[in-house]
Amino acid sequence: MTLKRCLKAGLSGLFLAVAALQPGQAQVPGVTADTIKIGSFGALTGPGYLYGKLPMNGIEVVFDQVNAAGGINGRKLELVREDDRCDPAAAIGAVKKLIHEEKVFAIIGGGCSNATVAARETLAEAKIPVIIMASVHDGITTPVAPTIFSTALTSSLESAAMLQFALDQGAKRIAVISMRDAWGRSRYTPLMEAFQKKGIKPVLDEEMAPDANDATAQVLRLKGANADAVLVVLYPKPAAIFMRDAQKLGFKPLAVGQSGIADPAAFEDQVGSPGATASFRTISMVRYTPEDPAVDKWRKAIEAKFPGDRLSVFNLFGIGSAQVMVEGLKRAGPDLTREKLVAALNGLKDFQTDVYPGGITCVETDHRCNKSPAWIAKEPGKPVRVLGVTKVE
Amino acid sequence: MALFGRRNVLVAMLLFAAVAPTFLNAYYLFVANTILIYVLLAIGLNILVGYAGQLAFANAAMFGIGAYGTGLLQVHFGWPFWLAFPLGALIATIVGLAISLPALRLSGLYLALSTLAFAQFTQWVFLNWEPVTFGAGGFKTPPISFTPLPISKTLGLYYLSLILVMVLFALAQNLVRSRIGRAFVAVRDGEIAAESLGVDLLRYKALAFGISGFYAGIAGGLYSAMLNFVSPEGFDLFQMVIHKAMIIVGGLGSIVGSVLGAGTLVFVLEALRKVKGVQEIAFGAILVGFILFMPGGIIGFLKEKVRGWEEPLHRTRASRRPPIAATSESSEVRP
Amino acid sequence: MELLVYLLLSGLTTGSLYALIALGIVVVNKATAVINFAHGELFMFSGFVAWMLHVQMGVPYLPSLLAAVAFGFLLGAATDLIAFRPLKNANIISLVLATIGIAFMLRGTARVIWGGKGDYLPFPPITSPEPIMIGGIMVIPQQLAVLAGSIVIMVAFAAFFRLTRAGKMMQATADNAKAATLAGIRVDRIYMLSFGTGAAIAGAAAALMAPLTLLYPDMGFSFFIKGFAAAVLGGLTSLPGAVLGGISIGIVEALAGGYLHSSFIEVSAFIVIMFVLVVRPTGLLGSTRFRRV
Repeated sequence: MTLKRCLKAGLSGLFLAVAALQPGQAQVPGVTADTIKIGSFGALTGPGYLYGKLPMNGIEVVFDQVNAAGGINGRKLELVREDDRCDPAAAIGAVKKLIHEEKVFAIIGGGCSNATVAARETLAEAKIPVIIMASVHDGITTPVAPTIFSTALTSSLESAAMLQFALDQGAKRIAVISMRDAWGRSRYTPLMEAFQKKGIKPVLDEEMAPDANDATAQVLRLKGANADAVLVVLYPKPAAIFMRDAQKLGFKPLAVGQSGIADPAAFEDQVGSPGATASFRTISMVRYTPEDPAVDKWRKAIEAKFPGDRLSVFNLFGIGSAQVMVEGLKRAGPDLTREKLVAALNGLKDFQTDVYPGGITCVETDHRCNKSPAWIAKEPGKPVRVLGVTKVE
Repeated sequence: MALFGRRNVLVAMLLFAAVAPTFLNAYYLFVANTILIYVLLAIGLNILVGYAGQLAFANAAMFGIGAYGTGLLQVHFGWPFWLAFPLGALIATIVGLAISLPALRLSGLYLALSTLAFAQFTQWVFLNWEPVTFGAGGFKTPPISFTPLPISKTLGLYYLSLILVMVLFALAQNLVRSRIGRAFVAVRDGEIAAESLGVDLLRYKALAFGISGFYAGIAGGLYSAMLNFVSPEGFDLFQMVIHKAMIIVGGLGSIVGSVLGAGTLVFVLEALRKVKGVQEIAFGAILVGFILFMPGGIIGFLKEKVRGWEEPLHRTRASRRPPIAATSESSEVRP
Repeated sequence: MELLVYLLLSGLTTGSLYALIALGIVVVNKATAVINFAHGELFMFSGFVAWMLHVQMGVPYLPSLLAAVAFGFLLGAATDLIAFRPLKNANIISLVLATIGIAFMLRGTARVIWGGKGDYLPFPPITSPEPIMIGGIMVIPQQLAVLAGSIVIMVAFAAFFRLTRAGKMMQATADNAKAATLAGIRVDRIYMLSFGTGAAIAGAAAALMAPLTLLYPDMGFSFFIKGFAAAVLGGLTSLPGAVLGGISIGIVEALAGGYLHSSFIEVSAFIVIMFVLVVRPTGLLGSTRFRRV
């Protein structure tokens, strides 16, 4: 009896001694000897789930892969998701929960722009390292917050690129059609500024609602104004309706899209009218479209982990930003602190991921780390091809 | 009075709320402040729907008008919060009074639709009147400062919300027990009978709409200060569903019910964070569950099960009314 | 002139989308005096079921359409059992909220099952996708199919209500449920039948409209709102009113977008509703219900 008791006491004593000798990692929130907790916020429910849930699925498959290879410096990555329903108040709540309740080490998140802008102050105040995965609003990255980085192409970058592309293709009468919601406005305003910088005006400025079912009035006016290029700042559904109605009414301009319509093959199906997307060119934040064999490995991972899902560009957004976070964590070393992670991210120069068109470069004065949009197009009956990658300053 | 009697429970909740900041972390404090704001919304809506019987769907829009009003007066004119806040609430009150006019001619589903149409119209104004409302991207409001007092913004706002809730709760309780409250119930239970007894329909309906607008406006001003950001998203029909759910879950026709309903709903929404991804399904199921199994709301349940819970008599009656005409001008009245 | 013709035509086609939704709402309301706020989600869910059968599993179009209709009927009957029957005597907000709760459940389920498949799912049309020329104007054949569909459903149901026994029983129940029970009508069954039929119409509407509108879990609500507005505009108990209301809203939207500014398209329907309800509260073709004191 006493032997057993002595053994128990001895073992507990030994255990406590060993525990006490562990390096004081518990001091750093979200980091233990064998795990790193990364938080994520975005829309899991509601229409914004495309920019929240799907990128988070992408982050998870990257983490799974890293964990299978042994983790980072012996620590496995754990993802904690929070829903913000695309609502500013819910985003602030989600972020506060991640920081104060879940005590995560860092965050990869940001789906809907308004929600992320609302949460920015809370994030900046807490000095927690953040990589923005999908929100494009300029207000998130300008002015620079020391710990907030973004791998999403910002709206001003894309809008400037759209206009430049149209001009480079020789368009003389450029029109704009946009959505009036937060996403649309965050692109429209810099687009108008880009026009001003070039000293030209759009020949017509049209609008469509996100769930519109008809674009006849807009197409007729654009046709009447003889627009030879239309900058399409719309989600895939209204854009598809627009292209279909344009085809129906015999209006065939150069249609310039943006990263909201990043999958020309899916878009062709959505438009449904053969040949309507022949002159459609679009920007993508990621270099590959889902059917490209180069991303086969990720397709298998997503379809294995989330049965029934198909690989989409939204997954790729998450995969890219997760790879950047993983690289930052690796470079920060085994003695992990938030300051070291921030320093590591600031030191990224031309870091190649599996999905982004160009290298990822972050500097202390500019945390917009992805500045290389890819231009892609799909001719009817042919596969998607990358027209080129531009670098924007 | 029994241990779980109404007054004791309310006092306990108040004490808890008063000392909460000492032990709650920043996240829970945020949730607590959210509950206080939603309590105001629920009380205002319950007065309009539960007591005066007006099936209106404009509460979220007036919440938005209060928030936008408070924020815009600060941003465009540079007014301090202490001036912009009551004026923002006043604007919401005036709008509430204005939409009471169509309410005179409409009731039931027709009133629901016209107030819903008004709510959509308000969203459209928030989105499109860009020079004034900054459109879809929203705008940041200047942080509120309590300068002479040495308290932080978060703490100060929490106590401000608490004080306002206490005052407006007491006001509402007195209101529903007064002549005005009785007139509301008379309007709800039988407009024609009420009119025949000399209750001025225009005055009391307008009053009900105005009061709910006022409560929503105050809640809106606090909300804009809590987030430091105002955008059209927070005031849409999903918001309206939450408001209605609060008063049904709490109990129609009961001010205390509004408090319990607001707390329960916010708590449920935050608790649902655990079931990531199936939140919508869980929320729908919980809502249906409450309605089916607690038809009188939490207050109805407490009245039955908890001894010593006294509730004033003006609860809405359970029976569903037969469909009624949309105008009071239809001359044929059949017994 | 050409602009006007095109706008009227586009208003007619969008309006027939709204009319189809409104018809389903009116059928339910005619019998039960209740609005099923989950109607949009019933529409959306049946559409996804049709997609699953036709696009994923390769079942031919017509059987998929029929399956969607049948499935819609079942969902509608389930809504009646869960939300309406237990709450018949509760106040109307509880009823409305219960149907909203069901709407959330359906939307969440659709998002979980099909949400990861893509942002907006395309659905092949029943006709050829190429636009055709009719009298100098280009039309997409599927839009004609939708218009024809609404008219067929309207005529079929008008006949059903007036000529068949079941239809007359539904009307009697709507008029005075107590008297109907006294006359031997199984009122509970009639309610379930009405909910099921309304949802079945939604299922048919989804299969017809999906090629034009693309499928996504959140599509239900925006159609429901317009459909509800169209039903009220036409008079909540009138089937021809639903079609007239839907087409009117479609035309008003098209004209506002064409002659004023595209930003008015979204809100013009609601301005018209607010106006009409103040001037003629029972809608264009609705009958004045009598008030009991």
